[in-house]
Amino acid sequence: MRYGKFKRLTAVAAVSVLGLAAAACGGSSGSAGNDKTLVLWHMEQPPNRVQGFQQLIDAYNATDPEYQVQAQVQDWNQIYTKIAGAVQSQTQPDILFTIPDFTTYVRPLGEVRPVTSLVEELDQAHTFGEAAKAPYRDDDEYWAVPLFGMVQMLWYRADLLQAAGISEPPRTTAELLAAAERLSSGDQNGIALPAGRNLATDQVLYSLMLTTGAGDFFTESGEINFNTPETVRALTLYRDLLKFSPSDSGNYSWGEPQAAFNSGAAAMAIEKGQYLAPFEQESGRPASDLGCAPIPVAESGGQPGSIYYSNAAMVMSKDDEKAAGAEEFLRFVLQPENYGTLLNAEPGLFLPLTADGATAESWTSNEVVQKYRGCVEAMLKQSETGALFGFVDGQYVDSVGKISGQNVLAQVVQRMYSNGESPEAAAQWGEEQMRAAVAE
Amino acid sequence: MTPRLPWARLPRLVTWILLTVVVIGPLYWVTISSFKDREEILRTTPTLIPTNPTLDNFRQLFTATDYPSYLTNSLVVALLTALFTVLVSFAAAYGLYRLRIPGGNKVAGLILVAYMIPGTLLLVPLYQSFAAVQLIDTRNALVIVNVAFTAPFCTWLLRGFFMAIPRDIDEAAAVDGAGPVRMMLRIVLPLLAPGIATVAVYAFVFSWTEFVFASQLVISDQLKTLPIGLSAIMGQYTVNWGLLMAGTVCTIIPAIVPFLFAGRYFVGGLTTGALK
Repeated sequence: MRYGKFKRLTAVAAVSVLGLAAAACGGSSGSAGNDKTLVLWHMEQPPNRVQGFQQLIDAYNATDPEYQVQAQVQDWNQIYTKIAGAVQSQTQPDILFTIPDFTTYVRPLGEVRPVTSLVEELDQAHTFGEAAKAPYRDDDEYWAVPLFGMVQMLWYRADLLQAAGISEPPRTTAELLAAAERLSSGDQNGIALPAGRNLATDQVLYSLMLTTGAGDFFTESGEINFNTPETVRALTLYRDLLKFSPSDSGNYSWGEPQAAFNSGAAAMAIEKGQYLAPFEQESGRPASDLGCAPIPVAESGGQPGSIYYSNAAMVMSKDDEKAAGAEEFLRFVLQPENYGTLLNAEPGLFLPLTADGATAESWTSNEVVQKYRGCVEAMLKQSETGALFGFVDGQYVDSVGKISGQNVLAQVVQRMYSNGESPEAAAQWGEEQMRAAVAE
Repeated sequence: MTPRLPWARLPRLVTWILLTVVVIGPLYWVTISSFKDREEILRTTPTLIPTNPTLDNFRQLFTATDYPSYLTNSLVVALLTALFTVLVSFAAAYGLYRLRIPGGNKVAGLILVAYMIPGTLLLVPLYQSFAAVQLIDTRNALVIVNVAFTAPFCTWLLRGFFMAIPRDIDEAAAVDGAGPVRMMLRIVLPLLAPGIATVAVYAFVFSWTEFVFASQLVISDQLKTLPIGLSAIMGQYTVNWGLLMAGTVCTIIPAIVPFLFAGRYFVGGLTTGALK
């Protein structure tokens, strides 16, 4: 290479470096925001949810509040380490979306403000359901403002049940097992269940644990009590149902059972309301082919139930003025005329948890909610029996985040599914793992 | 010499076809799926060619998501990472493997040890350090981290290339009056082009696919890179498979392009590094 050419190349490279470096310098000032900005972190990443939340935030900012809200979307898989780092470096958001077990992890970090008076005020104005508030009450304070609920149902393909000669969806666990067997033929599986090491498996198993009487696996003093006959019964049911689930269920999380269900490769699934919106588009079938029913209940010793997530918002502002601004925004969100904008970010999945929210036109007028009104009503009804491990019957188990964070329930399923372990042995292993996790 | 019978080549041919199917098959599947609608993607009887080809997934990708912004961020961060990695690793390798520096071998060993430290262990300390110097939520933070992780390996990678250049050339240049810097830039650097290409491609691809630090150090949507953006498209509870496939296709292409130009150097470079 001639030296002149080499020098020209070097000059071009240097200019490129400078240009790119200038581009790289672009960035935000960090998560703390400016003095008049409230930074909100939420973990609802799909584009439609981001858009829906942004629409709500834009509507609030248009009211010209003292503090403008700015959303920053985070990933559920990264949020645990991210919030820890942010708190340590004092760059935490003003508002952080949460679920009950995540709250137990964030609170000890030391920056969560109690919002008791706000929750009580909002309760008086809009009437929260008990399952919405209870998981956030501890030490005589509320630590987050409930915003929306999620509950699981048994989803079934009415057309496939009809073709198999099943006129009614299963109501008991025995009927569920029988239906799964009967619906399995050729390329079609009776049910699609997740069996991967993930939260999806945790959640589906826990719904069946609730309806088989194994929902509360903590003693009154908060000790682990997982290895019980009820748990073994629930695990046995899950193991038996997995025989009628697609052969790659060991890799399933949320998306795969839904794909199997919509394609007709599976006739039933247990999940939340995200099954509503894409059903017609993905299945090519009419809306009437999507059926839903309460989670089947054990013939004896069981009770109606389903895993229920009350999603909420914590206030983590560093100063009182900003905290007041954050509370003002949360008041705005729960106003019936605004509430629908939040819920319709994922219609059917995000359920109202206030009495006036359930009848708010801003929510009920949504096309998906109207089309599947029957299922939506059924989900609201199912919500009344909803529960979450660690928060059953007014419990508040501080260490539950360590159990859910390690997906111990899913690991128990995997031991049965992949290793062929018996439900009894898996339950014993689960108890040991939970004790070890809590002791850490 | 007797000509080889055609069937003698059969095992090689079968192996070649099998490998092609295994390697190209998933790529083909992802690509054609990105042109299918949501119903066809999920059909129980898969279609090898879309029955109703659609660009909807791509349209949605570029209009309903922040994908263009993710793409820009990834390009800026990856190109800067490649540039700075080349600069740092070339300078380091020249000093360690070309100049006779006392203790150079020990330093070279230490650099490799640094490369062996799992990155995730450094996550929280790095976050705090970057927060202290106001680098959280900037592209600069990602470039610094990426270069910190690619430079040690690339320095070691260049060793083989340096060893392949005879020292007699240096001595001849010294006789002609060339100093160390001129020798480095005018004699060694042009001969090291394949090595530089190897390092640049490695650093670019490393940065292009880096997830852990990008997910922690970037907070605002407008600075997210492609791996983070794609994981966001996956989302929790629901997956729009068509959108995900379209995003994957558009993400793969820029990573393949450097290989088209520098692939032979990269493969050759790895071999050279292994032998010397």
